[in-house]
Amino acid sequence: MKCPMENREGEELLLNYVSGALEAQEAAAFDQHMLTCAACREFAHGQKAVWEALDLFEPAPISADFDRRLYQSIDKLSWWDRFVDALSSPMVAHRGLPIAAAAAVLVVAGFIWERPTAPPAAPQAPLSAEVQTLQPDQVQHALDDMEMLREFNHLMRTEPSESKM
Amino acid sequence: MEERVNKDMAGLAAAIDYDAELMLRVKDGDNASFGLLLEKHRSPVIHFLYRMVQNQAVAEELAQEVFLRVFRSRGSYERTAKFTTWLFRIATHLALNSLRDHRHERQQESLDLEIDDQPVRQVSDRRPTVEQSMVYQARLGEVREAIATLPEKQRVAVLMHKFEEMEYSQIAKALNCSESAVKSLLFRAYETLRARLAHMA
Repeated sequence: MKCPMENREGEELLLNYVSGALEAQEAAAFDQHMLTCAACREFAHGQKAVWEALDLFEPAPISADFDRRLYQSIDKLSWWDRFVDALSSPMVAHRGLPIAAAAAVLVVAGFIWERPTAPPAAPQAPLSAEVQTLQPDQVQHALDDMEMLREFNHLMRTEPSESKM
Repeated sequence: MEERVNKDMAGLAAAIDYDAELMLRVKDGDNASFGLLLEKHRSPVIHFLYRMVQNQAVAEELAQEVFLRVFRSRGSYERTAKFTTWLFRIATHLALNSLRDHRHERQQESLDLEIDDQPVRQVSDRRPTVEQSMVYQARLGEVREAIATLPEKQRVAVLMHKFEEMEYSQIAKALNCSESAVKSLLFRAYETLRARLAHMA
């Protein structure tokens, strides 16, 4: 067996040996090689020590309410989070569409929110109110105008017959 | 022959990836499947984060965020990689961000490892003596410090390789680098750890 310490590809073999990931045949070959290779022996010894030392790093116990807290966080997701999540689904849209849709919703919402409200239309005065606002002198003036027009018409009709005479 | 069959079975298992099936069910609105995924991966994720940030409260907080992101991503989930690879990629991302955000605080307390966070050692046959307990605590402190001082990516690679027993390809995907880069990371990391911890043999 060629010494794995002599080539870069041997790194994987060395690591696999110590982690127990080597196939039995390869492991046996490496065991045989170590009988005559001090460098590999030293490596394997040191790596085995590291492997065992790391086993000391036991994890701490997990809080009993971990799941409860997680489900509470899920329940607290806002309507906006759920809306964005739903839009992210490929069934709803292609990539990029969620952003466009969200932007469109924002624009429409902003338009509705900020649209200037039209001033209330002035109530239309009833027709009778206009009549009531006419002054008596205005009526008199209109009647005078009508009388003048009637006289003017009369003159216009009589003038040609007088001229023929 | 037997080894070849085992390898084939492992390949088949990866192809089937029951976790990915569960996640697809979550995508279809089956929240019970999310519960199954949580039950299965809660401990590995929290333990990985604990060894990364070396603080149980922070690890659980980050794990909450990991699973919340998994739930929120259900709509866009696609089976493009192994579920665990995807899960640990999220966990790694959050852990590295947390470490970067709290780098200053960590430097101040780096040598003052939190005794409260250390697990209570379970001894089945007899209680450890005071001396044994002190030796254990001292050795554990050395291990924690040796891991904490590894560069971030080396630390992630070692924890995934040693404790999660992830394949090189999975670690590569989680770290967004090549398999050969992962092997180099691991080799350098173990070299550093051998220099620091070999005396513990």
